Amino acid sequence: MSWDTVFMIMPYLTVVILLSIGLYAVLFKKNLIKIIMGIAIMQNGTNLFLVSLAYRDGYYAPIFTGAESTEMVMPTPHALTLTSIVIGLATTALLLSFTMMIKKHYNSINTEDMRRCKE
Amino acid sequence: MTLDIIIENSPTFILAIPLLFAFLTAVLGWVSEKIGEILFGIGLALTVFFVGVMSFEVLTAESWFYVFGAESPSPENITSFFRITFIADGFAVLATITISITAVAAGIYSYSFMKDESGLNKFYTLFLLTLAGVNGMVLTGDLFNLFVWFEVTSVASCALIAFKNYRGRSVEAALKYMVLSTVGGLVVLFSIGLLYGQHGVLNYALLREGIAGSFTFLDKLALGLLAVVFAMKASSVPMHMWAPDAYGEAPGSVTPFIAVTSLGSLFVLFRLFFGVFSVGLDVAILGSLLIVLGALSMIVGVSMALVQSDLKRLIAYLSVSQVGYMMTAIGVGLATLRSGEGFGDLAMQGGLFHMLNDGVYKALLFLSAVAVIHTTDIRSLNDLGGLAHKMPYTTFFFLFGALSIAGIPPTSGFSSKLLIYKSVYLYSPILAIIALVVSIITFAIVAKAFFNAFLGPDQSLMKRRISKPMLWGMGILTVVLIVFTLFPNVVVAEIVDPAVEGLIGSLEGGLP
Repeated sequence: MSWDTVFMIMPYLTVVILLSIGLYAVLFKKNLIKIIMGIAIMQNGTNLFLVSLAYRDGYYAPIFTGAESTEMVMPTPHALTLTSIVIGLATTALLLSFTMMIKKHYNSINTEDMRRCKE
Repeated sequence: MTLDIIIENSPTFILAIPLLFAFLTAVLGWVSEKIGEILFGIGLALTVFFVGVMSFEVLTAESWFYVFGAESPSPENITSFFRITFIADGFAVLATITISITAVAAGIYSYSFMKDESGLNKFYTLFLLTLAGVNGMVLTGDLFNLFVWFEVTSVASCALIAFKNYRGRSVEAALKYMVLSTVGGLVVLFSIGLLYGQHGVLNYALLREGIAGSFTFLDKLALGLLAVVFAMKASSVPMHMWAPDAYGEAPGSVTPFIAVTSLGSLFVLFRLFFGVFSVGLDVAILGSLLIVLGALSMIVGVSMALVQSDLKRLIAYLSVSQVGYMMTAIGVGLATLRSGEGFGDLAMQGGLFHMLNDGVYKALLFLSAVAVIHTTDIRSLNDLGGLAHKMPYTTFFFLFGALSIAGIPPTSGFSSKLLIYKSVYLYSPILAIIALVVSIITFAIVAKAFFNAFLGPDQSLMKRRISKPMLWGMGILTVVLIVFTLFPNVVVAEIVDPAVEGLIGSLEGGLP
């Protein structure tokens, strides 16, 4: 395996690792903060996935003054990633503030104590 | 001339108005809460006005593609694949009408229901944001917009659920829903990445062409993930666990509105199944998938509702089982439309009419149940009783909603369920029997709830009176339901049939 192939596969491998770590935390951790960390890791994994999809070897950034018009990268995935980062900030902030309120009301951030809705 | 511009741009206004007024309410609400209240009313009214304009144009003239960023928002520019498109067709009209009816009723109801809370301008902001998000979800014609509106809806509706943040249970329900929605949103984004990597487009219509050209395992994976997430948001069994918590703990006046966001996800699911998925995958398999999920939702939802004693959770489980009816009917439609057996159309009519009905009577049931809880501070059916003596209007509203959800003959719930039974019976008699039995059990459940809460000797449980706006909110829904009950044929011909055409059109090739 040449170094080129390794470099090509590496981002996707990182994506898989990040997504698995995040999913593991969301599914199996009982601590709310750890679950939210898992979600944040998954967000980063997804963003990295989009950015690595958009990479084209030897192509220019899509700025008209600096490139031949035929050799530019499509900027759509980058736009998606930026939007997703902003949305990720909002969701993480909201989740953390929910956790603060849960701590205030239940005096615990363990998911096993969150069973009051069913009473 | 001006009129043309307004009509042509109405899909944008449906989103721009609530977004603008959400912002204004938040900013100017600092000055005085009264201003926020008035702005909220104006924003809601204008949104509904533009929904009306768009619906009128689609239903009387033609449906159209709205292309953003083009010189003129006309469909010739659809081929430029990085443009954002909206689809204004019969299906979107049905969806936005359902959403608007509920939003108006919930908005009017909120005026008096929420007036004891503090920070109301934030409540109105969140309400308008949710409205914009769910309308965007059903109107959009490309996947990335779908993701953005999905997240807007999730964030705003979770914050709405947790609005009474001095109640631990509300926050708990919101947190559970938020974790599910966020992970769901990431899965949506991941599958968008997969599809974009394969085909290089995000637009439904172009993606459809791309999938028709080459359909790979990765496409299948991406479509499966999308289907799972939107079925989850539509509260279909086995991903329904969040629904009873969220519906049960949300502030009473917005509960039907939260329920309608999940109905919006169901609309998106159908749009994707017909418009995008049906090219690559066999429609019979897709239809069976919907039927299996639908039958499961019907059975599990109704059997869970049977054992509930909390009034709001009971209705929440019933709404899960109602989602099953629509999925089954549309599934039958999807599976049989191409085989030319003729009852596919009937099934689609039944399913979509039922969606319109369901949005309205579910809202009526939730709002009248909330009125009961509001006046008595009691949620458990075991402790309620004799309310009909003091709350005659609410009793009537609840009874009417209960008869509709059970599908008892004169009501519109019966008209749509009859269409579903007829068509589903031709597809598979067992399914029709399941649907009938579930209906009967639903009737038993709502009858039990009605007897427990409203009939019997007066126990003087009322602690406060119901104010006028709450009655008006429920009254609007009742009037709409009465219209549906009296003229089901007109409603089916004028509103439901164009929606059926829109969906079938997207199945047969290209959108509008």
